[in-house]
Amino acid sequence: MNEGNLVSRGPLKRGLLSGLSITFMMVKVIVPCYIAIEIIKHFGLIDIISKVCKPFMSIFGLPGEAALCLVAGYFINLYAAIAVLTPLGLPAKDITVVALMLGICHSLTLETPITKKTGANAWLLLLVRVALSLFSGVALKLLWK
Amino acid sequence: MILNALRDSLWLTVRLLMIILPLTISYEFLKERGLFSHTKPFFFVGITRAGLLPLITGIVIGLTYGAGVIIHSIKDHNIGRREAFLILLFLSVCHAIFEDTLIFVIIGANGLVLVIARLILAFVLTFCAYKTRLFED
Repeated sequence: MNEGNLVSRGPLKRGLLSGLSITFMMVKVIVPCYIAIEIIKHFGLIDIISKVCKPFMSIFGLPGEAALCLVAGYFINLYAAIAVLTPLGLPAKDITVVALMLGICHSLTLETPITKKTGANAWLLLLVRVALSLFSGVALKLLWK
Repeated sequence: MILNALRDSLWLTVRLLMIILPLTISYEFLKERGLFSHTKPFFFVGITRAGLLPLITGIVIGLTYGAGVIIHSIKDHNIGRREAFLILLFLSVCHAIFEDTLIFVIIGANGLVLVIARLILAFVLTFCAYKTRLFED
């Protein structure tokens, strides 16, 4: 974001512009991901993926198909994860567990280089995020009554 | 099938837009009002007044869109490697807290659980790193 450009404008205009630029980026991710999931569902691939991932995902109390959503969130971004998650139609508890895991750890391909630029130890932070994401998934599963 | 998916995904985008626009606009207004000069520094987790701008920017608008401000203010205010690490550690676990939460709330998640869990985890983790010097590089 070019700060120098934005300073002269009013806060309303700056807020609108950054909101719209987020939305523009979002559409480019959400529409293709949503369509891809519909196609995967249509050809019955989702049942296969679901079966394969079931043992791992049951650690978090989630159905196997939620693995797709975690992968989309970790490697692409949260909008991709939401585009994958919405058509799956999971119950509120499962959505909250996925949301917590992804809230802690997402967009790794984009955010790790950003943390690197600040001079902090990016690899250590990456490790902390992944570990904490998995831990929080298990913890929330156990704590949720 | 594809047309349905296209329609549904655009509708999802519109719902997200209605969440994101008020957030980005109120952030700009808060920044204008001097939100950052009224907040108490998080000394107990090792974050000083200079570290507040990058920290709060990250908590409110996130790493991707806050990256400019975060990188800039860490360099400008000569924030040391150690404090930069603590700020980033906090932000790794807890950033874009309103947006990340609300976009999951509109598809059915429990927002309160999400916000509280992330804030607690971030504070505990940063506090531990600060006290034990475990992550010192």
